[in-house]
Amino acid sequence: MSNKKYWRSLEDLNDSPELIKKAQNEFAEPIPMDEFLGSEGVSTNSTPRRDFLKFLGFSVTAATLAACETPVRKVVPYVIKPEEITVGVSNWYATTFANGHDYCEVLVKTREGRPIKIEGNKFSKVTGGGTNARAQASVLSLYDEARFKKPMKGNSETSWNTLDKEVVSQLSQIASAGGQVRILTSTITSPSTKQVIAEFIAKYPTAKHVTYDAISFHGVRLANLSSFGKAVIPTYHFEKSEVIVSFGADFLNAWLSPIEYAKQYGSTRKLNEEKKSMSRHYQFETLMSVTGANADYRVGLKPSQLNNALVNLYNEIAKKSGASVLTSKSSPADKEIAKAANDLWNAKGKSLVVSGSNDKDVQTICNAINAMLGSYGNTIDLENHSNFHQGNDEEVATLIQEMKEGKVGALLMNNVNPIYSMPSAWGFEAAISKVSLTVSFDDRPNETTEKCKYVATGTHFLESWGDASPKPAHFALIQPTIYPIFDARQMEQSLLVWAGSSITYQDYVKTTWQKSIFTLQTDENNFETWWMTSLHDGVRVFWGSTASSTAFVGDIASAGSNVNKTATGGEFEVTFYENAIGDGSMSNNPWLHELPDAITKVVWDNYITMSPNQMIALGYSIEREQEAKSDAAEIVVNGITMQLPVYPQPGQPEGTIGIAMGYGRKVGGKLFVNKDVLDNNVLGGANVFPALSFTNGTVHYMNSNVTIKKTSEQYILASTQTHHTMMGRNMVKETTLLAWQKDKAAGNEREMFKVKEHGKHVEKSAEELDLWASEKNPGFDRPGHFWNLSIDLNSCIGCGNCIVSCQAENNVSVVGKDEVRRTREMHWLRIDRYYSSDRAHSKKPEDGKIQMYHELEVPSENPEVVFQPVMCQHCNHAPCETVCPVIATTHSSEGLNQMTYNRCVGTKYCANNCPYKVRRFNWFNYHNNAQFDYVTNNELSKLVLNPDVTVRSRGVMEKCSMCVQRIQEGKLSAKRDGRRLKDGDVETACAQSCPTNAITFGDANLKDSMVSVAKKDERMYTMLDELDTQPSVFYLTKVRNNETSGAHHEEKSKPAHLEA
Amino acid sequence: MSMYCRSSWRRLNYVICNLILALFIFGNVSAQTPEEKGEKLFKQNCSSCHALNKKVVGPALSGVLDRVPQPAEAWLIKWIKNSTSMIKGGDSYAVKIFNENNKSVMPNQAVSDDEIKSILAYIKNPPVDKTIQVDPKTSNQGAGEDAGASSNYYMYILAILFVVLIVVFSGMRKNLEKIAREKSGLPQLEPKPFAGEYSLAALWYWMRTHKKWVAVITLVLVGYFSQWAWYTMKDIGVYTNYKPEQPIAFSHKIHAGQNGINCQYCHSGVEKSKVANVPSANVCMNCHKYIQEGAITGKKEIAKIYAALGYDPDKQTYSGVTSPIKWVRVHNLPDHVYFNHSQHVKVGKIECTECHGEIAKMDTVRQHSPLTMGWCIECHRKTEVKMEGNAYYDELHAKLKAKYKGEPITVSKMGGLECGKCHY
Repeated sequence: MSNKKYWRSLEDLNDSPELIKKAQNEFAEPIPMDEFLGSEGVSTNSTPRRDFLKFLGFSVTAATLAACETPVRKVVPYVIKPEEITVGVSNWYATTFANGHDYCEVLVKTREGRPIKIEGNKFSKVTGGGTNARAQASVLSLYDEARFKKPMKGNSETSWNTLDKEVVSQLSQIASAGGQVRILTSTITSPSTKQVIAEFIAKYPTAKHVTYDAISFHGVRLANLSSFGKAVIPTYHFEKSEVIVSFGADFLNAWLSPIEYAKQYGSTRKLNEEKKSMSRHYQFETLMSVTGANADYRVGLKPSQLNNALVNLYNEIAKKSGASVLTSKSSPADKEIAKAANDLWNAKGKSLVVSGSNDKDVQTICNAINAMLGSYGNTIDLENHSNFHQGNDEEVATLIQEMKEGKVGALLMNNVNPIYSMPSAWGFEAAISKVSLTVSFDDRPNETTEKCKYVATGTHFLESWGDASPKPAHFALIQPTIYPIFDARQMEQSLLVWAGSSITYQDYVKTTWQKSIFTLQTDENNFETWWMTSLHDGVRVFWGSTASSTAFVGDIASAGSNVNKTATGGEFEVTFYENAIGDGSMSNNPWLHELPDAITKVVWDNYITMSPNQMIALGYSIEREQEAKSDAAEIVVNGITMQLPVYPQPGQPEGTIGIAMGYGRKVGGKLFVNKDVLDNNVLGGANVFPALSFTNGTVHYMNSNVTIKKTSEQYILASTQTHHTMMGRNMVKETTLLAWQKDKAAGNEREMFKVKEHGKHVEKSAEELDLWASEKNPGFDRPGHFWNLSIDLNSCIGCGNCIVSCQAENNVSVVGKDEVRRTREMHWLRIDRYYSSDRAHSKKPEDGKIQMYHELEVPSENPEVVFQPVMCQHCNHAPCETVCPVIATTHSSEGLNQMTYNRCVGTKYCANNCPYKVRRFNWFNYHNNAQFDYVTNNELSKLVLNPDVTVRSRGVMEKCSMCVQRIQEGKLSAKRDGRRLKDGDVETACAQSCPTNAITFGDANLKDSMVSVAKKDERMYTMLDELDTQPSVFYLTKVRNNETSGAHHEEKSKPAHLEA
Repeated sequence: MSMYCRSSWRRLNYVICNLILALFIFGNVSAQTPEEKGEKLFKQNCSSCHALNKKVVGPALSGVLDRVPQPAEAWLIKWIKNSTSMIKGGDSYAVKIFNENNKSVMPNQAVSDDEIKSILAYIKNPPVDKTIQVDPKTSNQGAGEDAGASSNYYMYILAILFVVLIVVFSGMRKNLEKIAREKSGLPQLEPKPFAGEYSLAALWYWMRTHKKWVAVITLVLVGYFSQWAWYTMKDIGVYTNYKPEQPIAFSHKIHAGQNGINCQYCHSGVEKSKVANVPSANVCMNCHKYIQEGAITGKKEIAKIYAALGYDPDKQTYSGVTSPIKWVRVHNLPDHVYFNHSQHVKVGKIECTECHGEIAKMDTVRQHSPLTMGWCIECHRKTEVKMEGNAYYDELHAKLKAKYKGEPITVSKMGGLECGKCHY
């Protein structure tokens, strides 16, 4: 076993005394008993005994009287029950989550007509049953109180009649006077919507459709236009790639189509008896991204150096293929570049190079490399391309110019928030005041709707009809799962009305499908049958995986010289990145804010990330304790000044800064007002979109010229990072592919105990020293099912989608930033992120922090990262069960550790005795409580609750139940049908939503079930197996396709000593 | 004490009423005349479309034997069994009737000739409805019970008042005497032994001289009251016999009992869902579109269904304005309990009556079982799992049979007592 040290924060690595002290306690803060009991405290206060008895007597009487009253509860059946509804049974509908930025084909679970859970649609060939956090959380956005209740005129509500009359008359006036009409929307892949817009343009001939995406990938389209004559985003096939090289493309989390790529990538990371090799992944990047964290080789480079490195890779490949080389500068990554070039060349046709840049010249070089590697037709498909991200930055810039010149008479906007998300250099806010008719179709207020003359209130996608076409030969349907909650009408319907058509959009979609998609197939002759099947399946796919290669015709020389010209950086270079908040349009969603950032584990805020090394040098605090405040800095980018706290990020090169996009919204919901009650120092995240620059025809998400200076301000960031530490024990087991190929159990050594037996020292495993089971008492049998959960650390990418899925399924409360800061987050499932370093850390440094830091400088500079999802391990020898004084936590005959809320009295003994720190205590009533005004404090958002799961109240412990409600439902449905339960009949929420299939759930007693196969795998281990808690959750070791990880230390770790 | 007596009184009352009820029911069954038989058949087969004295879908049937072509009985038998063939065959009266009734076809009825004869006997000579005679009594059962209970209350309160008065007066008498003696300088009276006169003073004297007895009696009383308190407290939150008044005086006795409608006809979720499902108003309309008048409450209660649906029975039109019926929930489980009807009814093959009691005999539904956790567990302990013929259990059944060697395999032996079965 390696003695590589894993650490979750710098304090952890340093064994900071404060952290150790706190880590000894399950609850990091002392419990303020005095505060609960009154200002003077119980010790000083002398409540007279008689008063006490009076209170006692009164309470008993009051409680008794209150209990005697019969509660009168009403049961209100439907007046006319819809045929498809059986009360108490869920219905599922296939639909599509497509908001221009994200795309996911989903199934929606509805109960009594209200959508409560989103899951991936396994029929999808694009997203393949995976989801992301935003798709999971989108159901909560449906029940957002901030949504418009009616159509709006200015700031007051109006009626559809008035709005239609006024808008149509103004539109006709503008059109007849020759004024321009513009429709500004985010990416539309829908054939029907495009047709509706065409009809509208036919009615108002001066109208034009402009596509704008807050986060643009226009550079990719431009590069493909010049390289191949096709302005498209290609379909990438990571699943066919043996070598993947990425230059700053966070393709597992944010780049182009992350769910699709995660699914593909995950399939290349599986290892088993049949599949004995895996992909090799190089990541050259600035910030520590989710994708970089999963790479086999990761090199941190400044944005300017990234371009040099890309040119160098081009040259290396060009040398091998005999093409001419470009002039280049050296970069710190030349050694790795040469190695990557070798690997790429050896895997020609099975390799892939991607770049996250939005610059067309950088993308052109990337295309040239792929062309030399023969990727086109193999791992890249230009024919069956992707329809995502059609935003055209140049057209948008032209539109704003026209607006400024007063040429545009009417601007209709859908699903865009340009005042918030456009570079300030474009001057949209000034331009919009010159437009006489401005209409927004958004369903909730934002910075732009505030400035619009009318809001033709749109619908949420769960209330809408529609379709989508993610690829030219792939069609998906959008169908409503609930009647519009408010007086809303979707954009397409409004445009149809204004174009003078009386058809409903539902019929319109159906007609479009009949005319253009039904005709693509020959299997079914009856359209109605085909239509119903399409609605049921949600998707219609007409593409295979064949692709032909296309010749590269781009101008590589000019691209090279342009890249070299721009590739010089200043002292600090900034990169703007995307996390779970996305482009900020779903910013009023508490589930997304409460989801810890995949890498930093910070919640509710954005901040500046910087190399810890540099932070020390510049005098920023790198303490990450709950009370420790972060120093704020003032950063100026493109003339925009932002003040944000600075957060240490190991793995980030010096001289680089990262800031997340999508924060700093000011309009559109309660989360943006007073969201922080910590202190007066409210920053509340900053909007970075205005600071973006627009050059070379595209918007850029990095800037090589920024100034930053420390301010005296301080700010508390809440992070789950330093909570629940495992105190340096070996939680994650890791090895390399080579070692694994030699020995399937590599890196999976068991901890042995030295025991004195008959005067001799012998080594024994924990099971042999078991107090629970013996020959007389063989332990428990599991005659029926034995529910197990397997987690493949090799394919878990740490995206955090499962956390939101679990939250939605199990009514997990949102507690807010202040409570998270106090280590009181309620998530049943967390993803531990461990940094590793090669340095064996044994001795405590004595000479202060700077000295300590210097010692750690080398190992922590570019750590490897491991993600480990941790939920209740359902120990079959559970330490929590034995200490509960009221038997509120017990074990089932099916291997589940059960938590009985109504029995729990809240002693918290169980949490203290849990070695995995997975139990969560309800410190407050999080529902009907104005202090936690997130989800369950209003009637509307309560509709998202799962009626099969209890909403826990104050004072009880809770934890992962392995989705026992789903287990019971699955079993019952098998019993009702009189059939045996098959593998896959029951899936937990986390397993269901995992885009890489890293989590597998099933019955270990069922022969050949996926989970029982995984259980026999030699990579299988249980966490803290030296404690012999015999968990029902087990892990498969992480395997990296490089030379060093895990097994590179030959020395075995010292066994723990136990004198018996 | 009072509560104890009250409940036993109620029980007695209940028993008496049931006895009366039983008498009538048995009387009904034992002496069934053709008319009575016909009435039953009429209600089962004809009443959806016909009434005796008014037109529903089909014509009123009173006097039908005199109207139709003679021989009336033979003609009607033919008509009832196959009306369409008669119309096609050109029977003039049949065609006339068909045209008079909006050309709605009377479906062929699967009844024997004898049964038709009984029905006709009933139409000719409808017996006086005995159930109507019974009903006022039984439906007043609740009210009578309340009156009985409240008069008992007054009795007890009066008794207690008397006792208090006696104590107060005798105390006053003693005190006055004491004062009088003090004033006049007479010596105070000493407690005197029992001298054949029953008085408080005598009791007081007895208590002072028989302390052991006093102790024993006190202990007995304390024990008794503690036990009473224990059971009273245990019943807090237990609402057995809870019988709330419903917004519509719907009678299960008429629907499930007399009309014999299967429970699942209305409670359609019981084999599919966790809830049995209170039927929506459109289910009521399957019958009540035609049955517009009830035997007991007339049109009043049925009109409430129409009001909920916005239905106009005269014009047979819906206004589109609906207002849901807010029933009062009789069986309340706490939120932290998960109970699934389909598990018990479909899989466990438990009869509805095992938990809900004789619903078919209740006018207003009453909570039959205590619905306490103890009650659930008790049943899980003794109920054998119905594993035969259900493929889900095959493998498990074999394993458990080997493990328990012939002992009955109850729910509890399959984890039926585990917390997580019902609480999550």
